[in-house]
Amino acid sequence: MSYFKALAYKIKQILGGIKMKKLFISIFIFFSPAAVLMGITPEEILERMLENQVHDTARIEGKMIIQDRFGKKTVTFVSWSRGEDNALIEFTSKYEAGQKILRNEDELYLYFPDAEEVIRLQGAALRQSVLGSDFSYEDMTGEKDLLDSYKVTLLGSEEVDGHDCYKLQLEAVSRNVPYPREILWVDKELFIYRKVHKFSLSGRLLKEMRITRFTRQNGKVIPVELLMEDKMKKNSSTEFIIQKIEIGIPIPEEKFSLRELTW
Amino acid sequence: MRFLISLAWKNLSRYRKRTIITASAIAVGIGIYIFFDAWLLGAELDSERNLIWYETSSIRIMDSQYWEEQERLPLDRVVENPEVVIKMVEEMNIPAVPRIRFGGEVIFYKDPYEQDGGVPVQFIAIDPERDDRVFPMKQTLESGKYLKSGKMEIMIGSWFAEDIGAEVGYPLTIVTRTRDGFFQTIDVEIAGIINCPNPMINNGTIFIPMDVANNYLQMEGGVTEMDMSLPLQADVEKTAQHIEERLEEKGINNLVAKTWKDLAQDYLAIAVQKRAGSNIMLLLVFIIAAVGVSNTMLMAIYERVRELGMMRALGMKDSQIRIAFILEAGGIGFIGSVAGTIFGSLIVYLFSTLGIDYSWIFKNMNVGYRLTGVMYTVWNPEVVITAFIVGIVISMLIAYIPTRRALKMQITDCLRNE
Repeated sequence: MSYFKALAYKIKQILGGIKMKKLFISIFIFFSPAAVLMGITPEEILERMLENQVHDTARIEGKMIIQDRFGKKTVTFVSWSRGEDNALIEFTSKYEAGQKILRNEDELYLYFPDAEEVIRLQGAALRQSVLGSDFSYEDMTGEKDLLDSYKVTLLGSEEVDGHDCYKLQLEAVSRNVPYPREILWVDKELFIYRKVHKFSLSGRLLKEMRITRFTRQNGKVIPVELLMEDKMKKNSSTEFIIQKIEIGIPIPEEKFSLRELTW
Repeated sequence: MRFLISLAWKNLSRYRKRTIITASAIAVGIGIYIFFDAWLLGAELDSERNLIWYETSSIRIMDSQYWEEQERLPLDRVVENPEVVIKMVEEMNIPAVPRIRFGGEVIFYKDPYEQDGGVPVQFIAIDPERDDRVFPMKQTLESGKYLKSGKMEIMIGSWFAEDIGAEVGYPLTIVTRTRDGFFQTIDVEIAGIINCPNPMINNGTIFIPMDVANNYLQMEGGVTEMDMSLPLQADVEKTAQHIEERLEEKGINNLVAKTWKDLAQDYLAIAVQKRAGSNIMLLLVFIIAAVGVSNTMLMAIYERVRELGMMRALGMKDSQIRIAFILEAGGIGFIGSVAGTIFGSLIVYLFSTLGIDYSWIFKNMNVGYRLTGVMYTVWNPEVVITAFIVGIVISMLIAYIPTRRALKMQITDCLRNE
């Protein structure tokens, strides 16, 4: 305590007349990374990033290139989405043609045309991989609750592939998320994540996600090519490519009904 | 009648070569039938024992919701206070142990392994100090050492070790989920390699100490199951029902006690199909034997049509001739059945001690049986007696048809028959 008193006295002598309380607040603010980053809060960074990813309505045509030790596989799809809660994905590639995934809020349904059966996925079944890719079904439901499920901390600022980024740490506060810790590098200018690291509870890096290309539409910056790599395995990755995106188009509500799933 | 029996006996000894050849055909058929049956029964019984001893235990207590979703191995449907239940069961003089069953993937890297890889497997967390009260896994240890509490070690099956090129001391990383669903990684070392007679265990199950799993999976003392051991002949259904009643008395209503038959429904369904398949196989063996017997019997009777005509010409009644021939065939059947039973029993005895090594089949192909290698025959007295009687009856029945046909012929035609 005497050390701080002596230090305060010395600083008071040097600065002459500056009130001690104000000084300490200034020092705190100076060393706070949020202040360094122009006063924006980590929650705001995350919200702005999510704004680029969530659309009122969208229709997407795209493909997934799945690579594992057995080789490469390409899966094409068409998807329709409405806000954060509704999405329908229909696979169009030869071997998967007609398979559909419907998401309504937190409920996920699968439709297999061969079996003519709708399956509701819940619990441990959500952890299964989507067509052998590095994405799981729960990856498709989790993102919208990011701010509710994680405590966000701004760790500082780092460059990713030459782009200045906010480095955010997400620590799970909810127990219904797969990754207890994630680190996101969010582009300061575009508010899209450039890189995401997903960790296990023991702290091992499991997956790395990178955005390799984006497009601008309706004033939004939309990631159109991303690469998810399984860092535990060599030669295991999934490239997610959006070939065509239309946002703000009218999509009837029935599109996201269970009846539509079996059509 | 005495005369007819005597005539039949004389004919048997008169045509010694024919009697020996025909009886040998019956003996081989019956012998093979007895052996096949004993072989299939042995496989079935061994398989059932290996299923109970190493996979399902006699009775398993688990959360009712876990039971409904058991294929997904949900870690959030657990028994919170296993020791209370184990104590209750042990008071009934039934040994019980806790286990945590979970799914995941093992990841291994080049050096020390030959190549990088990842394999999805089932993990079972065991209490190393007491698991062998129910599962005799310790006796199957082939190399290395048995698990110890608190050590970051695992035990794997020898086939699995061979597949991934693992040896004792090699490192592995387990990627799994915690009770709440967080991704978790556990770095472990292979402490021991077991050679379990149950291929399901030997091929893709990894054992890990209970306290390590409890800690890394954030189980907070919860387990997914408690396994119980009963003698193989015990009435498991009755005991399971009794356990459930005791649980209810204690106010524990969320748990169910399931027998190995409930737990291995797929296996039993396959076993029923297999039994049907085995019966078809046995029927084929039987038909082959019966065709052989009938062929020799037919030849034996047709070549004696002249003799039959002469007997009729001398005044013997048709019914007497028929009985004489049927008795003769019965005699051949008797000799063949005795020889076949001895022959079959000898082979059964031989392979019940030596066994037949089928590991080359079971290793590369899942045939449904819980067997990894040597199959032993099991003596089945019921089938031996049945085969013995059937051997005699069939011979007599087969003799009836050609005799009847020959008796329909004119005596003069019979005598002219070449």
